[in-house]
Amino acid sequence: MIRTKKIESKPLNFFEKIYIIEVIRGFSVTLKHFFINLFFPSKIPTISYPEEKVLLPGNAKLKSRHRIKLRSDGTPKCVACMMCSTICPADCIHIEAAETETPVEKYPKVFNIDISKCVMCGLCVEACPEDAISMDTNEIAGGAYSRFSNFQKDGLFLTKNELFIKLKDEKISKLGAANRLENEYGERND
Amino acid sequence: MPKVIIDGKEFIAKENETVLNVAERNGIYIPRYCYHPALSIAGNCRMCLVEIEKMPKLQIACATTVTDGMVIHTQTEKVKKARQDVLEFLLLNHPLDCPICDQVGECYLQDYYMEYGLKKSRIDLKDKNRKPKRRDIGKHLILDNERCILCTRCVRFCEEVTKTSELFINSRGDHSFIDIKTEEKLDNDYSLNIADICPVGAFTSKDFRFKERVYRLSSTSSICLSCATGCKIKVQHNNGKIYRILPDPNIYTNTWICDNGRMSYKITAGPDRLTKSIIKSEEHHLNKAIIKLFDILKEAKEKNLKIAILLSDYLSIEDNFALYYLGFEILKTDLIYASKEKEQKIEDGILINKDKTPNSNAVSQISKLYGIKKYEDLKDCDLLIGFYDDIEKLNIPKNKSVALSYKADKEYDNLIAIKTYFETEGSFINWQYFLRKTAPSVSAPTDTISVYDLCLKISELFGYYPKEKELNKIFNELKYKTED
Repeated sequence: MIRTKKIESKPLNFFEKIYIIEVIRGFSVTLKHFFINLFFPSKIPTISYPEEKVLLPGNAKLKSRHRIKLRSDGTPKCVACMMCSTICPADCIHIEAAETETPVEKYPKVFNIDISKCVMCGLCVEACPEDAISMDTNEIAGGAYSRFSNFQKDGLFLTKNELFIKLKDEKISKLGAANRLENEYGERND
Repeated sequence: MPKVIIDGKEFIAKENETVLNVAERNGIYIPRYCYHPALSIAGNCRMCLVEIEKMPKLQIACATTVTDGMVIHTQTEKVKKARQDVLEFLLLNHPLDCPICDQVGECYLQDYYMEYGLKKSRIDLKDKNRKPKRRDIGKHLILDNERCILCTRCVRFCEEVTKTSELFINSRGDHSFIDIKTEEKLDNDYSLNIADICPVGAFTSKDFRFKERVYRLSSTSSICLSCATGCKIKVQHNNGKIYRILPDPNIYTNTWICDNGRMSYKITAGPDRLTKSIIKSEEHHLNKAIIKLFDILKEAKEKNLKIAILLSDYLSIEDNFALYYLGFEILKTDLIYASKEKEQKIEDGILINKDKTPNSNAVSQISKLYGIKKYEDLKDCDLLIGFYDDIEKLNIPKNKSVALSYKADKEYDNLIAIKTYFETEGSFINWQYFLRKTAPSVSAPTDTISVYDLCLKISELFGYYPKEKELNKIFNELKYKTED
């Protein structure tokens, strides 16, 4: 059943009915901003995107472009368990696993995320058992916030080079199957 | 006939049957690790504990034989608590490396934990026993001792099925681990079955290692064509690529399959797969290749050249009969040859047959029916059509032959790219005279064709339109058994 709600609009009063006074009121708002922009440019509420950037507010920065966290020795924390690509509702993650000599045994040889398919749901981050994938780069994929963007469609296709990055001032977390990885417990500071 | 009551329902059991078998036959599932229907009973995992009235303690269902009037409970609180505790005990030293384990999706530990366990470990990570990981113990297998729950299925398999006894349990208590006898490798012909029967990820296949997650694979029932035994198999594939082959256990032929049969899927994709037909040393697309082949045959027919046709033990009944039809009805040649009857017997007492061709039973019947000559009688001919593997064995100049092949070979001038039996249907008669069919599991490369379709298209170009009934009449004349 379709619910309907009737909204009764307020009847216009005499000054509104003669119209000309409301036109002047409207122009005064425009003129106010015109003079603010002219004499006080620092108070302009907009920014000249994409040359200028502001930090994304609140939790929006936890749904920004993906990355794969790295261990202290520079290898990816990802072990190619395919949990993220299994849960992904948009089927945008492609992983090919391979064997390494380290005690981790498994690493992703190919790791691609097609952001043009991604719905930014964040399920991959929740599914990851190794705490490897995260969406905390504070960049908008393909947009000006992205350090790899070329404003082309292929800028939306992220491969290993774009994904395996370390943030500034990042502390290496000890979560995940860290007990196998002595380099995580080591006291190395890069 | 003893009568037993399981979970309030009365069932009639056979003499000397175990509780687990009676329950399973009647649709009541009892969890198990060490019990395997094709191996002896060990009773060491304690997962199948059930409550039996008038017995003071819980009993293991896999090793307790039923007696008349036995009352069995499989779902009481006591049983559930016991299962939970057994699971906690089995998971005590487990490394929990599921993200890198290939068993995920078919792991009994994962399944039973979700069903019966759901309990946090009370042991600290640091206190867990460490054992060797990633041990290369044979041509096909990798052993991870930390994941092992010591059910000894693998040890019993090597003792009872292959009778090679390579494996044993080393050390004692919670330090015990599966080990291989010194200076030996686990290289028997059935080693990959161990990866199948291992209920956890301790034994994993080297070939399948890290390739794909098990829960993404879909399965197609087919038959193995590595020898005349004709084992039933399950071909597991995803996105048009075959990843592995598993046995499809049945009472007629096989419970296991050999390693050679498991690797047979590699003909479908590989560097030497022939994807385009080659006529007169030039690659052609499918339609053009058929027309070029037709031109060759037409010219040969008009010049009254000797065209010989080889029926093959490697090809299906339909394909062989289509080849015979092409030779006899259309090319009007008498030079049709088949291999002589082969001795068929199980070589190693398990599965591998002495006869390495899948369809020699059917082909020898066809050659008897139509009086077809043997390969040895082939002395000389101007043009030879046959399967690649058969032509390889004969002393015929390679530029004179048209080989139907999966494999690329630069020595041949004429090669027709045909579909493998993973990509098309075909009927085969195995050494027990069972008629079985392969089923297409993946799609073939675009420029390949099945032998049946090739023969059909060429006869259409000659102006004959054979009906399906005409080509399938052979099935009325062959002698075979069906399984049902």
